[in-house]
Amino acid sequence: MAFLLLGQVALMSTNARQPGSEQSVLRTWIVTVLAPMVNVAGGALSYIKGGVASYVDLRNARQENLDLRERVQQLNDEANTLRERAAEYELLRRQLALPALAEYRQLSANVIARDASLWFRRLTIDRGTVDGVKLSMPVTTSGGIVGRVISVGLKWSVVQVITDKQAGVGAMLQSSRAMGELRGLDNARCEMKNISSSENVQEGESVVTTGLDRIYPKGLLVGVVERVEDDPNAPWHRLIIKPAAPVDRVEHVVVLLVEQRDLKMDENVK
Amino acid sequence: MQTFKLALTVIVALFIQYLFPRYLPFFQYIDLPLIVTVYVALQRAPMLGMATGCAAGLGSDAIVGGIVGVGGFSRTLIGYVVAMVSIKFALENPLMRLAVVAIASAANTVLFVGLHQMLRQEQVLEQALPHVGSWGEFGKTIGLKALGDTLAGLAVFMVLDRVFAEQRANRRMAIKRRFYE
Repeated sequence: MAFLLLGQVALMSTNARQPGSEQSVLRTWIVTVLAPMVNVAGGALSYIKGGVASYVDLRNARQENLDLRERVQQLNDEANTLRERAAEYELLRRQLALPALAEYRQLSANVIARDASLWFRRLTIDRGTVDGVKLSMPVTTSGGIVGRVISVGLKWSVVQVITDKQAGVGAMLQSSRAMGELRGLDNARCEMKNISSSENVQEGESVVTTGLDRIYPKGLLVGVVERVEDDPNAPWHRLIIKPAAPVDRVEHVVVLLVEQRDLKMDENVK
Repeated sequence: MQTFKLALTVIVALFIQYLFPRYLPFFQYIDLPLIVTVYVALQRAPMLGMATGCAAGLGSDAIVGGIVGVGGFSRTLIGYVVAMVSIKFALENPLMRLAVVAIASAANTVLFVGLHQMLRQEQVLEQALPHVGSWGEFGKTIGLKALGDTLAGLAVFMVLDRVFAEQRANRRMAIKRRFYE
């Protein structure tokens, strides 16, 4: 017994000391065995769940179709306006000789497992080193950022979601450009700290990445300010942020194939 | 054969633990590897309880996240202690077995959180783990997890009693023999 316990004390101590401790040999082996099985079983379960959901959705299809047509019309108008603004921006950018915003290769992935316990917010996706995924690559959806890769195997990767308590994101308010630090909270929300209480922050304001954490490229949407909690004695706002991506129920994600050295290069260019 | 069955049980428990929280969020409150460890430990075999706890704990660490070895340590200890207690006291009664699951679950939560606190000294605990922001919240988490594990234990024990029926019959015979001697 003493031998077994001492062995595990040594394992814990070694593991806790390493900065990238999520990537351990034991974890890699066990998840490599379990991930394909979970992927197949999850696929079958999703198929059944999808079938039931399709039937339920059909009942409201007509009204939804009408609503969506109206929404498509609105979005078309919005897209035209944005195209016009993009052209203006491009012209001004050339005149001022500003560097273009970097674009990165993207890789779509399916979520095969999530949150196996109460303690950590993690997703397992079906892409790994074979597909070019590496540690610390950012993971997003069309809505906003989801998290970053913290452990990677041949055909799977584990993503630490931004609502995890141990996750951190360099973020700023989109309109005022005030920078702060984003951390995960318990209830699928994040909190933003270090924003001076003299800043005027509005509920509903967008929060984007700063690019200074060397993980997420600059300008990706993180979420919106849901609530501003002010303590009269504190020099900082405490902002509760609702993530733009549905991080607690996301099924498909996109991995940005960007490495830390690419982000460093961007910074040097700017 | 027995070892193979046991290994398969641990793998199935880990597989279900990994698969289901995506579809049933309340599964986060259930710890199947721990329940299997307690079941095996209740067979009055300290070495077997400990080995199962070690395997189930390390497997759990791999799929859950966090510091590898924390779950292994706590479940190994729980496997051993439950086995030793089951040798000293009669824990055959189904209600007693469920009480043991609840106590083991609470002990596991306390050990897990305590070890994380000890190993991540640079962080305040409420920053490192969710649901432990205050003593009240921590107590509530312990209670909910114990409830989840106990309810799941009710079903899991019934299934495992069928899977390990032969061993169960042998154990009962041994107890009777010891009683009459």
